[in-house]
Amino acid sequence: MDDKKICEKVRMCIAQALGIDVEEVVPDAILFDDLGAESLDLLDIVFRLEKTFGIQIPRGGIQSSVLASEGVKEEDLVKDGILTPFGRERLKKEMPEVNPARIPEGFRAEDVATLFTVQTFINLAKRHLAAKEGKGA
Amino acid sequence: MNGIGIDITEVKRIQELSRRHKEFLSRVYTPREIEFCAKKKNKYQHLAARFAAKESVLKALGTGWSGRIGWTDVEVVNDRWGRPGVNTHGRVKEIVKERRIKKILISLSHCRDYAVACAQIVS
Repeated sequence: MDDKKICEKVRMCIAQALGIDVEEVVPDAILFDDLGAESLDLLDIVFRLEKTFGIQIPRGGIQSSVLASEGVKEEDLVKDGILTPFGRERLKKEMPEVNPARIPEGFRAEDVATLFTVQTFINLAKRHLAAKEGKGA
Repeated sequence: MNGIGIDITEVKRIQELSRRHKEFLSRVYTPREIEFCAKKKNKYQHLAARFAAKESVLKALGTGWSGRIGWTDVEVVNDRWGRPGVNTHGRVKEIVKERRIKKILISLSHCRDYAVACAQIVS
C-alpha cells in the first residue's frame, strides 16, 4: 500500500472516530487540542486502524512500538513520572512529527498522549504495516 | 512513592465502543470484570467506572508511557461487601513490586451519564 493511500485511510479512521469532517484531519493537527479528542477516542482510532490495515497495536504502542524492545530500561526514560533528559531525547527521536518545543524539561510521561498528531497515527500505521509485510519496523 | 490519579469516563462512549468493536471488552477488561459487569442492570456504568479506574491507576503511577502495559494489567475487583479494590498483573505488577508499593486505593462512582474513579498509591 503506498504512503498516500495509508495517509487517506488513517485520516478517514480519525474523522469517523471523532465524528468530524475528514478535511479537518490534516497531518499536523494535534488530536486533543485541535480536533477535540479524548483518551477513549484514541482507543476507538486504534481499533479502526487495526481493522482497516489488519494490524494489532498494543496499548502504549501509539507513540512507539520499539521503546520496550530495544533494551532500553524504563527507569532510564522516566523518573518519578517525569521524562529524563535521555527520555526526552528518545521521545523526540521516536516522534519526529512533534515540535520538540512541546517536550520541555519536566514533561510528564502520562502527558505523552497530548502530543499525538494525525501524523503520529500515519507513522504508526506505516510502521505496523512494514512490520507485517516483513520489512522491519 | 506516593501518587494520586483521577479520571472521568462517559458511559455512552463505553457503550458505543463495546457495540462498535467486538474486541473492545476482551482487550480492555479481564474476564472477571466482564462477568461482574454483565450481571448488573446498568452494566455500561460499571464498565465505565472500571475504565476510569484503570486510567486513574496509571495516572497515579505516572506510567502512561510504557509500551508494555496492557489495559488488563489493572483489574478492579470487589470484595464480599462490594467494595472495589485493585489487582495488578503483568508490567503493572512488576512496577508495584519495583517501587515497593504497599497498596493501591481506589474509589469509584457513577451515574447515568458519567463514571469517575480516584486512585491513590500508598508506599
